[in-house]
Amino acid sequence: MKISLKWLSRYVDLDGLSPEEIRDHLTMSTAEIEDVIPFAGGLEDLVVGEVLETQKHPDADKLTLCQVTVGGAETLSIVCGAPNVETRQKVVVVQPGHVLPDGTRIKKTKIRGQVSMGMICSERELGLSDEHEGIIVLDAGSRVGKRYIDQVDVTDHVLEIDNKSINHRPDLWGHLGFARELSAITRRPLKDPVSAIDYPKKGTRLAVTIQDKNSCPRYIGLVLDRVRVIRSPDWLRFLLHATDVRSINLPVDLTNFVMLELGQPMHAFDLRHLSKEGVGIRMAKKGESMATLDGVGRNLLETDLLIISGDEPVALAGIMGGEGSMVASDTTQVFLESANFHPTIIRRTSSRLGLRTDSSARFEKSLDPANAEAAVHRYTSLLMELCQGSAPAGPMVDPAHWEYEPNKIRLRKARLATGLGIEVPDAQVKETLTGLQFAVDEAKDGWDVTVPSFRATKDISIEDDLIEEVGRMYRYDNIPEIPLRTTVAIPHREEELFLARTMLEICALELQANEVYNYSFVPDRVLAAVNALGKEQKYATVTNPVAPDLAKVRRHVLPSLLSVVAQSLREQEEVRLVEDGRGYQPERRDEHGLPHESRELCLVYSRRDGKPCYPQLRSDLVSMLGRVGFPPTLDELRRSDDLPWIHPGRTVALQREGMIYGYVGILHPEVSDNLELPTSTAVATVDVRQMLKTGREEKHYQPIPRFPPQPVDVAFLVPVTARVADLQKFLLETNPKLVRKVELFEVYRGDGLPEDKKSLNFTVTLGAEDRTLTAKDEEKYLEKVRASCAEVGAELRG
Amino acid sequence: MAVENRRKEWLTAIEEAPDEAALKAVESRLFGKKGDITQLVKSVSSLPKEERPAAGKAANELKVELAEAIAARRRALQNDALAGVLAAPDFDPTEPGPSIRRGTLHPITVVQNELVDLFGQMGFSWQDGPEIETDWFNFEALNHPPDHPAREAQDTFYTDDGNLLRTHTSPVQVRTMLRFKPPLKVIVPGRCFRNETVDASHEHTFYQMEGLVVDRGVSVANLIHTMKTSLRVILKREVKVRLRPGYFPFVEPGFELDVNCPFCSGEGCSVCKRSGWIEILPCGLVHPNVLRAGHIDPEEYTGFAFGMGLQRVAMLRYGIDDIRLFMGGDLRFLTQFDET
Repeated sequence: MKISLKWLSRYVDLDGLSPEEIRDHLTMSTAEIEDVIPFAGGLEDLVVGEVLETQKHPDADKLTLCQVTVGGAETLSIVCGAPNVETRQKVVVVQPGHVLPDGTRIKKTKIRGQVSMGMICSERELGLSDEHEGIIVLDAGSRVGKRYIDQVDVTDHVLEIDNKSINHRPDLWGHLGFARELSAITRRPLKDPVSAIDYPKKGTRLAVTIQDKNSCPRYIGLVLDRVRVIRSPDWLRFLLHATDVRSINLPVDLTNFVMLELGQPMHAFDLRHLSKEGVGIRMAKKGESMATLDGVGRNLLETDLLIISGDEPVALAGIMGGEGSMVASDTTQVFLESANFHPTIIRRTSSRLGLRTDSSARFEKSLDPANAEAAVHRYTSLLMELCQGSAPAGPMVDPAHWEYEPNKIRLRKARLATGLGIEVPDAQVKETLTGLQFAVDEAKDGWDVTVPSFRATKDISIEDDLIEEVGRMYRYDNIPEIPLRTTVAIPHREEELFLARTMLEICALELQANEVYNYSFVPDRVLAAVNALGKEQKYATVTNPVAPDLAKVRRHVLPSLLSVVAQSLREQEEVRLVEDGRGYQPERRDEHGLPHESRELCLVYSRRDGKPCYPQLRSDLVSMLGRVGFPPTLDELRRSDDLPWIHPGRTVALQREGMIYGYVGILHPEVSDNLELPTSTAVATVDVRQMLKTGREEKHYQPIPRFPPQPVDVAFLVPVTARVADLQKFLLETNPKLVRKVELFEVYRGDGLPEDKKSLNFTVTLGAEDRTLTAKDEEKYLEKVRASCAEVGAELRG
Repeated sequence: MAVENRRKEWLTAIEEAPDEAALKAVESRLFGKKGDITQLVKSVSSLPKEERPAAGKAANELKVELAEAIAARRRALQNDALAGVLAAPDFDPTEPGPSIRRGTLHPITVVQNELVDLFGQMGFSWQDGPEIETDWFNFEALNHPPDHPAREAQDTFYTDDGNLLRTHTSPVQVRTMLRFKPPLKVIVPGRCFRNETVDASHEHTFYQMEGLVVDRGVSVANLIHTMKTSLRVILKREVKVRLRPGYFPFVEPGFELDVNCPFCSGEGCSVCKRSGWIEILPCGLVHPNVLRAGHIDPEEYTGFAFGMGLQRVAMLRYGIDDIRLFMGGDLRFLTQFDET
């Protein structure tokens, strides 16, 4: 919204305050001012001239050749295209070499063969209005040769208000509201422009029928007589232009002026188009439609509020008038509407129709019904003043009998001091609230504060709201900084958060992975690529997605991570990516009815050369999980319909305490093919919350062996289907007392071995607690292995 | 005379021995079994008796002198050799070792970890809540009753089951109040969503960090102190802050907190729209209705809350000018932030 300082100064004295100071006052105490824009600036070069002589341009019908004096010895010959130029007029002239407000430098030119020594200006060229048909004609008393800006007071500054910062303040949607704030801030008196009017007790009136006082708490109608649809005076047109409102004619301009002054939208109907039976306010009927004055036909719903005349819609209440009933050039009788509508009804209709108007923007904010009456008084007195002869034709019709029941709030001194952290002097509290037009009465522990009606509809309802009033007028930047009183904060440590952070740090610092963030939305194209489309799985689905393919919220994190691997492989020979994110499985619900949320840490290793990635990823993962206290057992394949992207024969479950908390393996060959990734691409997921449920391993000190270890190499020839874990177990159980650990150091298949066999080479570390082992112990152990290894399908080699 | 002449010859041979092998040769020529000095010492016994003491003394002195000269030369040769090794002219200080891939944390993770540590040291616990949230936690408990216009202003994503994607990390305020008793000091960094069209400065997926303090007697003055202290650390400079009115339904009073513009030091530039200030975080005293929703008595306890945009902090810190870069797997972007 725009606020003109010239306009503001009608209600509060701004003398001695620069526009920047006003901006800062308001920003610090009231609302954010985004910018200060000069209005009618850059007029320094323009001077008053007098047209001495006019003659028709010899070669152009619409042009006039004028002889103009600007006070110097020479007269200027200027070609003018305006229809209203005449001899003896005082006009605004810009001479060659001088500059217009928009930066255009005027040159001596020839127009259709005639020399033109400058330009006679219209209002548009000066930035005063959109008027450009005719030139500005100044008062006859204007002094030739003087600067225009010294003769006519038009320069102004406009404040650009951040509308978001006044959404909760219906009283600030007009100039008077900001004037009231400035009056309280600067402690200068406020001049209220409204004074009540005596309306005729009898005369022309139009009945008003309100169907429901909840949707329309107040509706005031007044008929005005002997109205002339004339052009508004300059000051009014310029103020409207400064605040971005187009001037139309006086009766309409005044509705806008009052709206921008008091914040109360109004509507002027041509009485001829309204039924004698009066107007009504009701909800639209099913299937009803109307044309608004922008010429657009609107299909209405039963939730839309209408103004009707003889049961025909004549306005979309609070949003826009109807096409047929607007003021026309021959209107003489006006029906003036000043009403109050339910904010939600207005907001819903206006957002559904995409029809946001100055009026709807205000009604949405919960306007003060008292203001509806003030606006009628104000409109009427302005009209009578600016359109001589016009007058109310009858009484104000105000059937709602609305009355304000003042809201009284106790403001306790102690609560005020606690909230702000400082003691504001009593006198200052009282002065502040009084300045903002609250009524303040002393009470036992503070004050009883009566809220004025214009603050009561929305923003002031509790004691804390009053604390804000005092605080903002005291100015928050005058409040000193005071450290929080030290209390022992009870540490609520969320293991999951720290665990995930540590794992991510291990992934980045130790495993050299790059952390990636992906959207929580997963497009069908990605689901298709990972074989997950068309499956039975449910998704939490957004009903209003940014794009149609971004409606599904991912069940699991890995597919999104997979979707960026191919792109990364173009950057690097070898890619290791990690993502820590959340997946949603809506078939399970928590106690609040929310879909089950899993926290998944996913890793992908891929190499452009296609070399195996699985062994490294598996080792890295086991090492990381061991380090954070959740060492997994990996001895079973992971298969799940919910994980269609993994290779069902080459993916291992991460298990602990009988629970599965993730997997590591390679991609399903179809999926690697779809994603154009090497088939050796390895993937892993750790379900962090599931893992936490298995309980963290406690580390225990093991006594350091007093006698040295004795490593023994054992090589087995086994069928290719044999499992390392079984042979490890066998080697251990062959002599549990002596074997300290069993490690695989090589798996060999190929040359020199039968096709269906592989060689598994282990290092068995032997050691005793009470002596140093000898070669004999080693032989005895190997003997035992040789004797019984056939039981596990193995044959000792070498 | 002959001996004197030869002495000079011998000393020269020692001093000019170019390396250890040559020195060894000289040494054995002098002190070997048939070496010149060995012979010289032996020859003393064959001299007339009266000459022997003088000749013996001279021979011995010569022997000692030459032995010392050899030792000195040997030390010099060793020093030269060590100096040669240490000088190593074939060593190229610019030749690198094998290249090592460096893993990286996401820049938002880096910023988040730093904030968690900073606020952790100030006694704030790290909390989080679900990203798909109920209307009650996201709005109603935060003093946004149904039909409140602020709900529409937040461009909420709704899910088909009547829930929504959280529009801020604030729902965790009430979740925390319901789980724990005051005094409370928590921070909640996390992912939030608003239905916005994505461009260089807007994202529908963004990161916020909520802060909440609830205790007896918490005031605006405490809020100012906490914010100033933490912003000094986060922005790594002495900051000026200003607090001005701002409206958010879940705080009362509510503020916008500005810091003096780092680009023009308050003089006014295009970044700060010529005001000298940059809006950095919304904050305020917790609205009594929010405390009540969290089963805390607003007469006994007060509190403050604040919110911070993590992308904004990361963008200010690294000079990133396009918010879209944060999402997706562009390694050319992600590998630039090899910090922990």
